[in-house]
Parts: sequence; structure tokens; C-alpha cells
Amino acid sequence: MSKFALIVIATNNTLRHMSFTKGSLFLFGIFIIVSWGFIFLPGDSGFVELFRLETWTNIKIFILRLTGTESDLTPAFFQVDRWIETSKLAYQTLVMSILAMAIAGIGAFLTMVWAARNVSNGDLGGVPSRFGNVMYYLVRANYIVSRAVPELVWAMIIVFFLSPGILPGALALGLHNLGIVGRLTAEVIENLDPASSVSLRSAGASNSQILMYGIMPQAMPHFITYLLYRWEVVIRTTVVVGFVSAGGLGREFILRLNWFHYTDVTLILIWYLLMVIGVDVLSSWLRKIVDAD
Amino acid sequence: MKFWPVILTRHRILLLLLVLVFAWSLFSVNWSGSIIHTGGRSSFLKLWLSLFPPDLSLGFLLIASKATWTTFTFAVMGIVLAITLGLPMGVIASGILFERSSVNRVPIIIVFRGLLAGMRAVHELVWAVVLVVAIGLSPVAGIIALGIPYAGILGRIYAELLQSTPRAPIDALSQTGASQLKILFYGYIPAVLPDMLSYTFYRFECSIRAAAILSFIGIQGLGYQIQLSLHDLLFDQVWTLLLFLILLIVLVDLWSTRIRRSLLA
Repeated sequence: MSKFALIVIATNNTLRHMSFTKGSLFLFGIFIIVSWGFIFLPGDSGFVELFRLETWTNIKIFILRLTGTESDLTPAFFQVDRWIETSKLAYQTLVMSILAMAIAGIGAFLTMVWAARNVSNGDLGGVPSRFGNVMYYLVRANYIVSRAVPELVWAMIIVFFLSPGILPGALALGLHNLGIVGRLTAEVIENLDPASSVSLRSAGASNSQILMYGIMPQAMPHFITYLLYRWEVVIRTTVVVGFVSAGGLGREFILRLNWFHYTDVTLILIWYLLMVIGVDVLSSWLRKIVDAD
Repeated sequence: MKFWPVILTRHRILLLLLVLVFAWSLFSVNWSGSIIHTGGRSSFLKLWLSLFPPDLSLGFLLIASKATWTTFTFAVMGIVLAITLGLPMGVIASGILFERSSVNRVPIIIVFRGLLAGMRAVHELVWAVVLVVAIGLSPVAGIIALGIPYAGILGRIYAELLQSTPRAPIDALSQTGASQLKILFYGYIPAVLPDMLSYTFYRFECSIRAAAILSFIGIQGLGYQIQLSLHDLLFDQVWTLLLFLILLIVLVDLWSTRIRRSLLA
């Protein structure tokens, strides 16, 4: 037996005695070392530049420009008309995020029941059918695809056939979140206590009645909570999707940065933070209402 | 027979409100205008037709594998930076280090919670765009852009987990006269480690998607290749790259689900 085979067997034995988690951590450690080498060994990673005085002077200049102290002009965030102009873009961004949630919400609402294993195999008192089985795999596959592709990539593809504006961005955000919300709610349905549905069935309830009175009342609060929680994430991402889909604050942000209008960039960042904080507060308030019931 | 609930509970009012807001948002789009732009229909058709088959030539598969690997390495380094930043900040933000000291801990907690909130409020790509202007385009800029918002997310969760640990073991430790740091390492960390690990692995999956879109600022990887292929209208290549991305995400998802299951069991 060669030395190599001995090493392989030895490693195999060590691994068998490790729990899955420990093995995973070990593997992740290897990934960290290899990734470090892959990115930093070529020498063009820019790591050395971080410790140069020049880089930090540039950062200082950049921050001074953002605050508007470097130039004599009035910074954009002290001009009322700039605020009014950008408020329209902020409104557009907000509408885009809500439209995205509408697309994701309606899409997930219509499909999530199919994606629950216990619905299609009859554990909730329904009749198992070939159609339900096919739908289960179809919907789940759709969720995986729409979730795995990031919003920005969806947007890049969608602008190929939709005119720029709010809709392509909202569609991109909606597609991505449809997969996330759908999967999460389907998992909630899978973990439901089947008792109420089964007893509804034994009392002679039809499929739609089981759905209406057995599944929905338990699943809906979770569904709405996930939707509201995702809205907090979506409002952050709406700006990014705006980079390519030309809607709202995102486009303006990139343009102003390219034109070196630094104080306008600051103004947009202020709007951005205001909206993120606003949506966070609103969403957690609404989620409390859902929880309270 | 009563089909519709007549009583308006707070719950139902909220649901009605959501439906109304959704409907309003649908009407805010100008549906009558040109939604599909000129040539959009044909490129949509072309996009779907190029799925059969995607570009599976050996040369392109090599390009796609290399891009997938690059995206993966950026995600790994991003999450490592996020942990190294987020863990200490989360520990400080939870306030457990100052429980017995005379320091007034409320301002420290508020400052660190605010810092974490600010870091995660800004999307990684916005950080990336800003960082490229500030320190120039380099892999390090991409990693920092990934690390900052993820540190904000992880730090907040770590802080919340640390605050919700059961008190009994902590009190027992502190009665033996253990220092604050010893209590942290022998009391708090072991208690929350499974939850921390499982959440961190869940976030790792998200960081892969985030690493893929860093291409927008010019970092190599899957997103960068997708952008190139889209610009050249080579949709069959786009499909191949998307399939690689989906495969990577599914694999990491399966891995992290498995870890979570074995940790929380």
C-alpha cells in the first residue's frame, strides 16, 4: 500500500469521528486559507495600498467633498429645491419597493400552498394527486431559481425587454423575493399542526374549505410577517436595482457620482438612510400588529 | 352560513390595508405606455430559445467554473471580515462585558448598536461604489464592501443572542469570581455558539449572491461574466452562468441546512 493511500485512510478515519459540524468548520477553515491565497497572493489585491498614506489622504478628500467643505458652492443638501427635486425620486423608489412586494406577495400567495409537501401528499387531509405532486416540484424549482439569482442580475436581464422605469426594477426585486417569501411560507405550512385540517376533513369540508379555514388562518400571519420583513431588505436593494433599471434614486446616485457632484451624492445618501429607517420603523410597527393578534 | 368575516379585527384591517396599497402600487405603473421596448419581444424570445441548449463548450465551462470559484472566494473572505468585525462589535453592543463594572454602559451600547445599524442600513453595492471612489478598484475594496453590511447584520444578531442567554450558568460563574472575559468565553459563548454558527452559515449563502453582484463595480466573478455575455447578446452563455450560480447557491444552501439541523438537533 502506498503512503498516499495510508494518508487517505487515516484522514477518512479522523473525519468519521468528527461530527458533521466540526467537519464543516474544518472544511470552511480550508476554504478560508485557499480563498485568502487566491485573492491575496497575486499581489494586485490592493491590500498593501490600505496602509499607504496616499490612500488615506484620498479618503479624507473624498469625505471632505461629500460634506461640501472643500468647495465654495452651497452643498446640495442645503438647497431646498434640490430636496424637492430628489423627493420625487425618493417617492419613485418607495413605489418601486411596494410594487416589488406586491409582485412577490401575490406570486407567493398564489403558489405557496402547492409548495408545501404536506398539502400535496395528503398529510393535511387533502387527497394526494399526481397533479399536486407535479405542482410541488414545479413550484419548488421555480422558487429555487428565482431565489438563487440576485435582484441585480434579474434587473440586468429584464431591462433587455422592458422599457426603463419603475416596472423592470420592481419585477426584478419581486422575482427574487417571490422565491424567498414563498419558500419560507411553504415551510411554515409544512410545520403546521395538521389537527385542525384533518378534523375539518372528517367533518366533510371540501379542499377549498380546508384551505380557507384550516391552513390560511395559521399561515397568513407568518406570510405577512415575512413580507413585511422582506420589505425592509427590499428598500435597501431598490436603490441598487435602480443602478441598471433607471428608476428612482439609484440612477441619480450613479450619475451624480460619475459627474463628481459629491454633495448631491450626500443628499441621495441622506434620502436613502431616511427611507431605510422609515421603512424599518413602519415594518416593525406593522409586524407588532400581526403578532398581537 | 357566514362566508366573510364581518368583524374587523386589527389583523383584518392590516390585511385589507396591504391589499389596497398593493393595488395602488399596481396602478401607479403606466400600463398603457410602451412597457416592452422596441425589439424587446424578439430578445425575450431569443433569451428563452437560447436555454436549449446553453453554451456547454469546454472552453466556456472552464470560464464559468473559474468565475464561480472567484465568486466563492470573495464570499468566503467577505464573511470572514464580517465575523472579525461583527463579533467584537456585537459583544460590546450586547453590554455583557460591563455588567459588573462601574462604567455607565448605556451610552456604549447605544453607540455600538447605532454603528451596527448604520453599517447594515447601506446595501453592499452602495458601499462598494463609494469605496471604489475612496480607495480605488481592487479586490480588497470588494471584500470590505461585503464585510461592512454583513458585520452589521451578524453583530446585531450576536448581540441579541448574547442578551437572551439563560442567566443561571452566568450567575454561577460570576459567583466563583471569574473575570468578565472568562464569563464571556466560558459562560456566554458556549451557550450561544450553535445559534451563532447556524445563523452565520445561513448568512454565508446570502454573501455568495452579494459577491456575485460585486461585478457591477468591476470585481471578477459570475456577475461580471454574466454582464459581459449580456452585452454581447450571448444568451446561451448567460444561461450557463446562471446555472452555475444556481448550483453554487443550492449546494451551499444544502450544506448550511444540514449544519443547522445537526447543530439545533
